[in-house]
Amino acid sequence: MGIDMRFGQCFMIAVLFGLASMPARADFQVFACEPEWTALVRAFMPDARFTTATSYLQDPHYIEARPSLIAAMRRADVAVCTGASLEAGWLPTLLQRAGNPKVQSGRPGLFFAADHARLHAPHEHVDRSMGDVHPEGNPHVHLSPDQLPRVAEALAERLGELRPEAAADIKTRYIQWRGRWNSHRADWQEAATELQGQAVVVQHTSFSYLLRWLGVEATIDLEPKPGLPPSASHLSALLSEPGLEGARAILIASHQDRQPAEWLAERTGKPVLVFPGTVTDEAPTENLAGLITTIVNGLEETMAGASDGSL
Amino acid sequence: MFYRVVPFVLIPLIGINTGVSANELNPDVSVTLDGYYKQNDTALSHREEGFGLGHTELSLSSPIDDLFSGRLTAVFEEHDGESEVLIEEAYLQTNGLPAGLGVRAGRFLSQVGYLNGRHMHEDDFVERPAVYRALLGSHYYDTGVRLNAVLPTPFFWQVGAEAFSGDQLSEGDEDIGVYTLNTRIGGDLSVSQSWQAGLSWLRNRQVSAEHGEGGHGGEHDHDHEGGHDHSHGASYTGENLYVADAVWKWSPNGNTRKQQITLSGEYLYADDLNEFATSDDVHEGWYVSGVYQFAPQWSAGVRYGEVDLREPHGDHFHSQSLEETDVMLSWSRSHFSTLRLQYTHQSATGFSKADNTVMVQYVMSLGAHGAHGY
Repeated sequence: MGIDMRFGQCFMIAVLFGLASMPARADFQVFACEPEWTALVRAFMPDARFTTATSYLQDPHYIEARPSLIAAMRRADVAVCTGASLEAGWLPTLLQRAGNPKVQSGRPGLFFAADHARLHAPHEHVDRSMGDVHPEGNPHVHLSPDQLPRVAEALAERLGELRPEAAADIKTRYIQWRGRWNSHRADWQEAATELQGQAVVVQHTSFSYLLRWLGVEATIDLEPKPGLPPSASHLSALLSEPGLEGARAILIASHQDRQPAEWLAERTGKPVLVFPGTVTDEAPTENLAGLITTIVNGLEETMAGASDGSL
Repeated sequence: MFYRVVPFVLIPLIGINTGVSANELNPDVSVTLDGYYKQNDTALSHREEGFGLGHTELSLSSPIDDLFSGRLTAVFEEHDGESEVLIEEAYLQTNGLPAGLGVRAGRFLSQVGYLNGRHMHEDDFVERPAVYRALLGSHYYDTGVRLNAVLPTPFFWQVGAEAFSGDQLSEGDEDIGVYTLNTRIGGDLSVSQSWQAGLSWLRNRQVSAEHGEGGHGGEHDHDHEGGHDHSHGASYTGENLYVADAVWKWSPNGNTRKQQITLSGEYLYADDLNEFATSDDVHEGWYVSGVYQFAPQWSAGVRYGEVDLREPHGDHFHSQSLEETDVMLSWSRSHFSTLRLQYTHQSATGFSKADNTVMVQYVMSLGAHGAHGY
């Protein structure tokens, strides 16, 4: 049949054209599952090329393995992700569809931050009635002032292994980064003395590591179970929660729906604080230190303001 | 080795990572429960009226070593009170061959078209579009081998070929009854919008083999009734099947958790139906579907599809056609549970069972939940 021949020929021409148009690639291609890892790798390898799978306006649990990401994973020299099942809904598909040998499980090109950090709240036993709980522990480790340096050290070492000719530069940049981080951490520590013992209402465990580190309590969650959106009945129940009185603010991330937080704010008079859950494209939250500083300052202002007002 | 510039103080942690237990060496087990109530029988449907179990799956998957991973999926189905266990998937998949190549071997879902390669429990409607039910038996899976390549282009471009025994599509004597070629491209239009388009060709040599045996029309014992409740293969076949598909998705700032609109459509065309077929005797059909996930837990969707078929009847053909409109509303408590209410309107010529119906369906995932495709 003529149409088969034509189809077959077009197909082959298309394939040959595709192969011929392979670009020559000298650069180091980085695939980051979340923008915080782009920011971190960029601190060590400013000249690398980056593809970031998610943004601060997206919930990293619910990303689709869409075609553009498969293409980017196909090109990647290293893939840097959070791990601890955060990307379980999409990363395995991406890796399988892209078929890139450099970044398959167990190869040095696939780096999971959670493998190099001590995670909060690991579970011996998990079942789905508990909500979307990660058995490995809370994966949102990038906002931990103490855990991030461990991740950064391991990441710098891994990048050095993958790019031996740049290893010395990477190490130097890591040491510089580490110095800056430590001085930032001293500032945050100062703020922590003021924030210690305060409480906030949260939505999901996005900011848990930082809040714990600051000594800020976050026992009241707008989510009825991890991963379930806030429901009307859960919000009403929160109103009679004894701990609510002491909470100074309602803290949510930019990618979350503001309605539940605003609903609670209206009824309790507590301020709503919205911070990016991860780094953004613009200063001052374009890197993790800047983001943590922004969150700490924001908490400090609100908490100080709230205590002045109420006392 | 890096040294630490300044030693840092660890604040007390409530726990540390638990070690690797032997459990982690077990394959991931997942079960999909699919049950429904259907008010009336409908044409070309694989679901009978009344209460019924749909596509109940048990799936085991695991990496095998650093090169291979594997999956086994058994499907439990019931027809007229008889239970059947079908092996829908039993394949090995390579991980990370050079040059973006991937090989899959064993039994698996063919990648022709957009919907066919997806698991049925990922669908947004209770049943696949009428054209899929007629030409692919809802989903065409078979035993064979696949070679795919993702080309190193700046946008997504995949090409692939499959060879199958063909026995799941139609009966015949060929060792390699079905070949497919497929190409797919896609990308992002903006941070909120993404798309994918594909072209596929499925060559069914079993159909052409019937030519060679040269029997006259009388040997063909085709079922004249439209609804082939028992057949798992396609009810209507042709030597060539062409599929064009396109998908477009939108979500605010790419945050699919919040809201998402998915528009998809496919066109299927089959020709060379048998030795009596003239160039006018073709199967043809299409559908378009729009689904709006307007809140994290809620989706609503509309789908319209048509299929025009030529049912072989000795040395001539009878025309059949079916137009189908589906409207659905679904609620997902979590990522693992879905309840769906659907109304289907059929108008047909040449089908005795065409009817309108209301359906209520649940789809529940137990255990490991594999990552979904696009």
